[in-house]
This record gives sequence, structure tokens and C-alpha cells, in this order.
Amino acid sequence: MDPDAVAKAFVEHYYRTFDTNRAALVGLYQEASMLTFEGHKFQGPAAIAGKLGSLPFQQCEHQIVTVDCQPSGPTGGMLVFVSGSIRTGPEEHPIKFSQVCNPAPPRSGSSPLLSLVGVRLILIACSPR
Amino acid sequence: MDPDGVAKAFVDHYYTTFDTNRAALVGLYQEGSMLTFEGSKFMGAAAITGKLTSLPFAACKHQVTTIDCQPSGPAGGMLVFVSGALQVGEGEHPLKFSQMFHLMPVGPGNFYVQNDMFRLNYG
Repeated sequence: MDPDAVAKAFVEHYYRTFDTNRAALVGLYQEASMLTFEGHKFQGPAAIAGKLGSLPFQQCEHQIVTVDCQPSGPTGGMLVFVSGSIRTGPEEHPIKFSQVCNPAPPRSGSSPLLSLVGVRLILIACSPR
Repeated sequence: MDPDGVAKAFVDHYYTTFDTNRAALVGLYQEGSMLTFEGSKFMGAAAITGKLTSLPFAACKHQVTTIDCQPSGPAGGMLVFVSGALQVGEGEHPLKFSQMFHLMPVGPGNFYVQNDMFRLNYG
């Protein structure tokens, strides 16, 4: 699978999980994973999933507009740069966001796609209108 | 210097160079560096600088709103995520942008840009 297709598959999987089963995001992070969310820092799957699970909306829908990816270096990781919008309720205006993810290479024995979504680092910045 | 201080210093230096001496950006990239600019891909310092110096404006000014950084792994790299606005001429509306840099260390206290991705954020 070419890198752009892998990045696209990762992004679809990540946001579908976020939008339909937010608690399951815990499986996408490792102990060394870091999240910076609107300037606040969290480390490890429990803290990160805790933050994402406690965001002040029950439901949400992400719409992805752009996905850019590049290999991040000799260890085989990827950098994925996403922009889009998130709607946090049927009556709410969508909020534009940008996000960077650094999926880590697969651990041995893992299936190819899911192991690539062992996300290591995420940065996110929301730009309200 | 702490990582956030390093990231801020790099971002200040990068955009000051961009805004005052764009051709000198060539010194911040290496042969293996990659730029994705609005979806178009460029590799290597020469091609990247060629793209940046050929952008359709003579003068510009970057205003940075947010800088986030995280270490990128055991090699000492840093991920730096910037949002801000770009003014491309007198009287023009500033264009909102987001940009991601992956910096790798080279020599004491110095970094080069290994990965660079830039997107305008349309309102």
C-alpha cells in the first residue's frame, strides 16, 4: 500500500473511532504517546483517552478536507497533517481544526493497518471562526 | 534551553528569514528534506527553496498565533506545529495557515527542517 493510501486509511480509522466509539481511542496510543490539545499536554493512553473522552460534547462528526503525509525518518514512522472541521451537535456550527499525527511503525506480530495506527504523538489546534 | 524555548526560537528565525531573505531558507533544509506545500511535494533544499522563492508575492509577513512542540523520538528531533496568518501585500487580507515542521538536530544547538507541511486554512 502506498504511503498516501496508508495515511488516508489511518485518518479514516482514527476519526471514525473518535466519532462512533471514542473510548476505543485508548487502543491507538502507547505509553510514550503524547497529546497536545489546545496547548494542554497529556501523556500515555489513559490520560489521552481521558482527555478526549471528557470533551464537552456527547457526539461529534469530523469532516476531513485535506490529508498530507511524509515519512518521518529512518525508523519508518509517518507524519500525517490533517485539516477539516468538527461538528459537535446537529445545531452547532462546525469548528475548523488542524491536527498532526505521528503514527509509529508496526510492532512485530501486529496486523499491518492496525499496527500503523499505534499513534505516538498528536498535536491539535482548533481555529474558531 | 527548554524544548518550548527552542521551538519558539526556531519558528522566529524561520519566519524572519522567510519574510526578509527568502533565498536564505536554503540553509535550513538538507538533501533529504521534504516539503508538502498546499498538496504539492518537493524534495531537497534546492527544490524546496525554488518553490518558496517562486511564490507569487514579492513581500510577505508571517504572524504566528500558536506554537506547539513535542519531542519526536530518540534521535533528538522535534515536531513543531504552528498556526498563524500570512500577509502578502499592503491592503491584502491576511491568509490563515497551519504549518508542521519536523526538526532534526545538526551540530550543537542547531536544527534543520527534515519535514515541512504547509496548508492555508480557508475561512
